Amino acid sequence: MAEVRCCENPVPAPGRAGWFRRGGWLFLALPLWALAYSVIQRLAGWVAFHLFGLAPGSHLGEAVAFFLYDVPKVLLLLALIVFVVTFLQTFVSPSRVRDALSRRNAGLGNAMASLFGIVTPFCSCSAVPLFIGFLRAGVPLGVTFSFLVAAPMVNEVALGMLFAMFGWKIALLYAGTGVAIAFSAGLILGRLRMERHLEGWVQDALGAPALGESGEERLTLSSRIDQAVQGVRDIVGKVWPYILAGISVGAFIHGFVPEAFMAGLLGKQAWYSVPLAVLIGVPLYSNAAGVMPIVEALLGKGAALGSTLAFMMAVIGLSLPEIVILRRVMRPRLIGAFVAVVALGIVLVGYLFNAIL
Amino acid sequence: MLIEVFGPGCAKCETLVKHAKAAVEQAGGDHQVVKVSDYAVMAARGILSTPALALDGQLKFQGKVATSAEILGLLQG
Repeated sequence: MAEVRCCENPVPAPGRAGWFRRGGWLFLALPLWALAYSVIQRLAGWVAFHLFGLAPGSHLGEAVAFFLYDVPKVLLLLALIVFVVTFLQTFVSPSRVRDALSRRNAGLGNAMASLFGIVTPFCSCSAVPLFIGFLRAGVPLGVTFSFLVAAPMVNEVALGMLFAMFGWKIALLYAGTGVAIAFSAGLILGRLRMERHLEGWVQDALGAPALGESGEERLTLSSRIDQAVQGVRDIVGKVWPYILAGISVGAFIHGFVPEAFMAGLLGKQAWYSVPLAVLIGVPLYSNAAGVMPIVEALLGKGAALGSTLAFMMAVIGLSLPEIVILRRVMRPRLIGAFVAVVALGIVLVGYLFNAIL
Repeated sequence: MLIEVFGPGCAKCETLVKHAKAAVEQAGGDHQVVKVSDYAVMAARGILSTPALALDGQLKFQGKVATSAEILGLLQG
């Protein structure tokens, strides 16, 4: 007999307790969140410099204070951002996006797909069914690629984290360049007429008759809130090891890496800094939240913004697991073209921002 | 009833299978849970995001780990 918890009851009890469970608890949770967020910096400093007795300004002291402050800060921000994003995503579904994109021409279609790619919820396990579903519905291959590039490249959680940690300018820069890369990559890959480089079974699946259409689920406000809570549990539960790893690297850079070294490696003057950032970033599988503390420490140590953005995009947008999943549907030449076009776009963005900022 | 769970085999899909089995156990009666991981079948069924769940051939949820209570509701509905 499976245990049914209170919150999974499909018919919530009426009255005040029911109201609280269906979303009213947010009125209590949000002020608590704000309170916690406002005290963690002082608390981290107190623990590092008083409780542990480390000297302010020393390598170890600064690294430990960075770590103690960043762990709760990133986790709190992540929880709030994932909650908001997942809630908003319950209003967008892949099938609606597919219908909006079907039989669009190149150009407008690529632009719409790049924007939809930011907001549409789907986990990377869904990349293959989504890819085939779009093509079956008559979404052109190039437009589908714009979507597939934008989705990981402009990660909605990364966008929220950048906004919260570095302000709207950097967040907008990230979103704008990501959309530009997705737009042009889809346009180029569409021109190359790569349809014949899809795997054979995909070409068969594209021609196979459809077996009925899916119905859309109707959602209530409280079920949207439930899904948002579930999203926070799933994502925070899954990514916290990456966050701890990212913060450890960030704390080390913050405390121990000399500024001259970082400026030489990833600074504006070094011509190789952008490709180097991409080369380091691609195999470094992490996710949006885990890479933020590293970005924070790099920027603090004088790494150029363009190189840092390129690094972040390479980590999030071009990951090996994603490529392995896409290999199921694409032959090596198409995969190669996909990776090359996206990597080229990231490198160009890096140079562009190093030059103009 | 025939309950189909669609997914390539990631953690979310496995959780949904577990929830479906728990719901069946509670509902009693003659229900069957089947896992479908063939992408070609998913494409033909119009599935865009996984995990997805179908009841007697009709898709009910997509891209969501439905709770066992939700699935139970469908079985009794």
